[in-house]
Amino acid sequence: MRPFTLQKPTTIGQAVSGKKESAQFLAGGTNLLDLMKKHISQPDRLLDINSVLSEKIESTAGGIRIGANVRNSAAAANELILSKFPLVSHAILKGASPQIRNMASMAGNLLQRTRCPYFYDTSLPCNKRKAGSGCGALKGETRMAAIVGHNPQCVAVHPSDLCIALSALDARVIINGKDNKETSIPFKDFHKLPGTNPEKDNNLPANAIITAIEIPSNPFNKNCSYLKLRDRESYAFALVSVAAALQLNGNRIVEARLASGGVAHKPWRWYEAEKFLKGKTADLSNFKQAAEIIARETHPLNGNEFKVPMLKGAIEVALQNCLTA
Amino acid sequence: MGFFKRKHELKKVPEGRVEGFYKVTGSGKYAAEYKLENVCYAVLVGSTIAAGEIIDINTDNAKDIEGVLDVLTHRNRPQIPAFADEAKAKRAGFSLPVLHTNKIFFRGQPVALVIAETLEDANYAASLVTVSYKTDQAKVDFDKEHATVPIAATGKERGSMDAWSNAPHIREQAYTIRNQVHNPMEMHATIAVWDGDKKLKLYDKNQGVNNVQQTISRLFDIPPANIEVFSEYVGGGFGSGLKVWSNVPLAIMAAKQVNRPVKLMLTRPQMFTLVGYRPQSWQNVRIGADANGKFLGILHQAKHGTSVFDNYGEGITRISRLVYNFGNLKTESATVPLNLGAPTWMRGPGDCTGAFALESAIDELSYDIKKDPLQLRLDNLAVINDPDTGKPWSTNFLNECMTKGAEMINWKSRNPLPAQTKEGEWMIGYGVANGMWFAGRSKASASIIMQKDGSITVQTAMTDIGTGTGTGMQNIAHLELGISHDKIRIKLGNSNLPAAPSQGGSTGLSTISGAVAAVCDALKMKLAGYASSQDAIFKDAKPESIVLSDSGIAYQQAGNHLISFDKIFSKENLQTIEVEASSGPGEERQKYAFCSGASHFCKVRVHTKTGKVKIDRHVCVVDAGYVVNKLAAANQVSGAAVGGIGMTLSEEQLVDSTHGCFIGGDLAGYHFAVNADAPIIEVDFINKIDPNINPSGAKGVGEVGIIGAAAAIANAIFHATGKRLRDLPITPDKVLLAKS
Amino acid sequence: MEKQKYSRRFFLSTSAMAATLAFIPVGVKAFYNNVKKLVIPLKEKMAIKLSINKAKYNLTVDTRTTLLDLVREQLDLTGTKKGCDHGQCGACTVHVNGQRVLSCLTLAATVQGKEVTTIEGLSQGSELHPMQQAFIECDGFQCGYCTPGQIMSAVGCVNEGHTHSVEEIKEFMSGNLCRCGAYNGIVQSIQKVAK
Repeated sequence: MRPFTLQKPTTIGQAVSGKKESAQFLAGGTNLLDLMKKHISQPDRLLDINSVLSEKIESTAGGIRIGANVRNSAAAANELILSKFPLVSHAILKGASPQIRNMASMAGNLLQRTRCPYFYDTSLPCNKRKAGSGCGALKGETRMAAIVGHNPQCVAVHPSDLCIALSALDARVIINGKDNKETSIPFKDFHKLPGTNPEKDNNLPANAIITAIEIPSNPFNKNCSYLKLRDRESYAFALVSVAAALQLNGNRIVEARLASGGVAHKPWRWYEAEKFLKGKTADLSNFKQAAEIIARETHPLNGNEFKVPMLKGAIEVALQNCLTA
Repeated sequence: MGFFKRKHELKKVPEGRVEGFYKVTGSGKYAAEYKLENVCYAVLVGSTIAAGEIIDINTDNAKDIEGVLDVLTHRNRPQIPAFADEAKAKRAGFSLPVLHTNKIFFRGQPVALVIAETLEDANYAASLVTVSYKTDQAKVDFDKEHATVPIAATGKERGSMDAWSNAPHIREQAYTIRNQVHNPMEMHATIAVWDGDKKLKLYDKNQGVNNVQQTISRLFDIPPANIEVFSEYVGGGFGSGLKVWSNVPLAIMAAKQVNRPVKLMLTRPQMFTLVGYRPQSWQNVRIGADANGKFLGILHQAKHGTSVFDNYGEGITRISRLVYNFGNLKTESATVPLNLGAPTWMRGPGDCTGAFALESAIDELSYDIKKDPLQLRLDNLAVINDPDTGKPWSTNFLNECMTKGAEMINWKSRNPLPAQTKEGEWMIGYGVANGMWFAGRSKASASIIMQKDGSITVQTAMTDIGTGTGTGMQNIAHLELGISHDKIRIKLGNSNLPAAPSQGGSTGLSTISGAVAAVCDALKMKLAGYASSQDAIFKDAKPESIVLSDSGIAYQQAGNHLISFDKIFSKENLQTIEVEASSGPGEERQKYAFCSGASHFCKVRVHTKTGKVKIDRHVCVVDAGYVVNKLAAANQVSGAAVGGIGMTLSEEQLVDSTHGCFIGGDLAGYHFAVNADAPIIEVDFINKIDPNINPSGAKGVGEVGIIGAAAAIANAIFHATGKRLRDLPITPDKVLLAKS
Repeated sequence: MEKQKYSRRFFLSTSAMAATLAFIPVGVKAFYNNVKKLVIPLKEKMAIKLSINKAKYNLTVDTRTTLLDLVREQLDLTGTKKGCDHGQCGACTVHVNGQRVLSCLTLAATVQGKEVTTIEGLSQGSELHPMQQAFIECDGFQCGYCTPGQIMSAVGCVNEGHTHSVEEIKEFMSGNLCRCGAYNGIVQSIQKVAK
């Protein structure tokens, strides 16, 4: 690691005003320290924000508010989340390991950087790590790369599981900016596509800090599922993952939510398929058609074509699992 | 009656390992954990190109970092005598680049070594070393390169290939396996400490202290006696510790340069390029049988990767010469030089790779013939004689392994037709395959030091990399001497102790058990010699007639003419009694062939829509002679099976041929099995003594648990789905895309 | 603090990525033609107070020092193992305030005011912790290198109540890699203690 100063702000205001360009917030540290050891992230100053941010999970008028500093494992085991937003718990428990979930903060999970091996190896080209150096993956190994929303600048995928569930449930990211006023960003606008600046993963303003995640009340607690396909049974990043949620009236779908991980630079919502399922009977034939619609949206790279049939299968299974959940 | 008369019955021995306490409390010291005054830290910088040469290295920035003591490169490193000229280097038999050239042979090759006061300083400084290269075209694409390499005969041809060209059933298929990496949990590490110019202490992670001692002696021109190597606790090896890698001479050079003890622990990514791997391979098997399923002939061809600077041969086709009767047989092989790090022996080397092809091909043939794959194998096993040498097997109960395993997994309940058994969207299948490994044995020495209270320490230079060697030695010493377990201490892994070969190839216990038996006899004779001055009955006594116990020495039966150890020590005015003995293989090797065998049975479920494979059950029945410690032996076998699950389903070191390198070289990118990947592995043993192998009757179990495991799983996947997967690892994408 | 921040090389110009400069002619001087600034900050040290295995430590540490490197390299508590140093293997698992966490991804200076327990602090006096005893009895290890991490994690697994089935234990122990594959004995040890 490059040497740095460690500071411990005691208020959100102090944290935000201390967040200059060469400073970074430290919460769980599970991704940041890894990146610092690899000399990918080289802050001059670390601001330990662990005593600044909320560790509370609260019921609100419109839903639930999860403090930024709540640990992933605490959220996964929280009664309120288990009863009202079980999809969040399912997704968290498919990510990382128990130790990492004990350390990682909810806000930090949103800010995880890609696990693309070209991003992680500082001797290989990567536009996300070093603007203008090229995309190593596109010319090299694409197995883990994106199949939708990518461009020649960057084919990396977003690594989080939690975020896929939050995306499906239309969460909001609550932030405090420079002026120390609370604002929020809809989840779908929080992460971004690579565009011309793949070095940026999200639209969090430079000096802002995430203080909470809010999820609006929803009717999806009975019929939801999270399916993650990976190269081993546990402790591996997704090849593809699916967060599925249905609101049912009898066997008729009132509303559907579908989002995927392992497919794009950001958590990816399948809006067309959701629209298709609305009003349809919850049966395999409609699930298959939804999967077909999704497959048509994808643009696999040379070398990761398998993700399309795998995603189709995952969509079908995740939707079926909603019925038996 | 065998070569070795057994002097003891199969007694139940207590469970739990001699070193268990030290491992569960974290108090056992592994290489990098010894506390040394004034130690400093070294961090390696690897090349970022795969082929070419260094034009320039800038170490100024690194040297400017507070705490940095020096930065070694090919320009300023201390001279290693063995690298003074080409001829010397050749004689030293050390082909790895250790800053002695500006040529680059693979990506990750050491180009600089930063030495600093703290690990933090060294790590940061290492990131500031910059190198400019002249880049040459690198060869890293095995698939592309192997086609250009001619194949040559390996071993003697049997019969002829023409003899079975019209066989009723012939199957010919190619099988491929990607690079796999040992990745023991402890990263390779060395602490080098010079005492003056000619004396050296090394705390090192390896599988053979004497090998390190000899190699370093040759390289640095120091007498072996002046080099002491400590490897008391070794955090796994799987073959990676059988060779002395560049980190050892580099740490020694660094310690010389700064005149302080230097600690060098590789990083996990460096573990992928600097300490070996199982090289990528291509195999072609043509196998023929008559209408009843009698094997008529086989052609087994294999090619695998090696590095451009060090030719390494796996012996992939060996397995086809061993297990079954093939009257006509031809084996051919070739190595394919690549700009990658040097590969090396990895658990079940050669045979593990070969068995995947052989046992898959047999399985394919069984469905062609419409004959139960279990029966097809049973009908063709060579359990009487080694088909290659014609020598009788000393013991070979592979047929019993098959029968027992079939019962355990309830093989007969299986639908003989593939792709027929479904549970919802899961397809269920059963597979079987065999594994075999030559039961080797080498010469080793051991010593015993006895104290006045009758407690003993049995010691040898051999390491225990986790196999339970020390526990096995304690059990054997107990059986031979009758002294209680709690009075037998074991000391291992120090080059000053009686010499022993490296622990590898499942030969550890087989080798050392002979030495322990011999030194136990030596102790008996020494005690009898002392006892004879007090009781003439012990004069001319043979080891068989001497009975030891915690109470002392007796004649022919416990208590008879008993003389307490205390009495012997007092009478002779002794502080300790020390004996040393050696033992090695003898003429039994001329007469017999030796093997360990295993049958693997697997029940899998495969998801039709996602390609996900889950192992429901994995059964492994092993024939490895007498089982000295069932708990440790079963652990070895189940651990090897877990290794087999990883090998089959997920282990793959990706190679990027555009950038000339391994990709994702860390434990998040390289997937060996986690706990949830494996079911509780079901292990059993035939547990019949091999009376000719060594005095204990025990053979090694470390390799056979993985040899054949991959084919059993792949065969089960075929039985479940009707899809034949011939390229390892069988990741879900391959399952999904395969045609049935 | 700011005034001593940078070493003399602060204003020295150099090239950052020599790998891309393969065409540059021989000679160290060529390296300094590039005008990109390389900033080399001095290391920062902090005085901290820690409680590890109920013992109090007053230490001055480099801010970069992880809890793992602190216990292994400075406090001679080498029971906590380094298997990857990047949160990918679980060998460095310790407890912080009773929760199982990875010491390789924890800065030493951030555990002030918290109770750290390593494998050395798990047993009470000379008595082994029941999990340590179970690992011996069930042979839940081979080489022993991942073992302290497995045991610390196993204690966490039991405390969290994730022991209802073999499958649940396996899932909640999958953050601890064992290359020897001693998973049979690890699961059995946990079952034994959870009873």
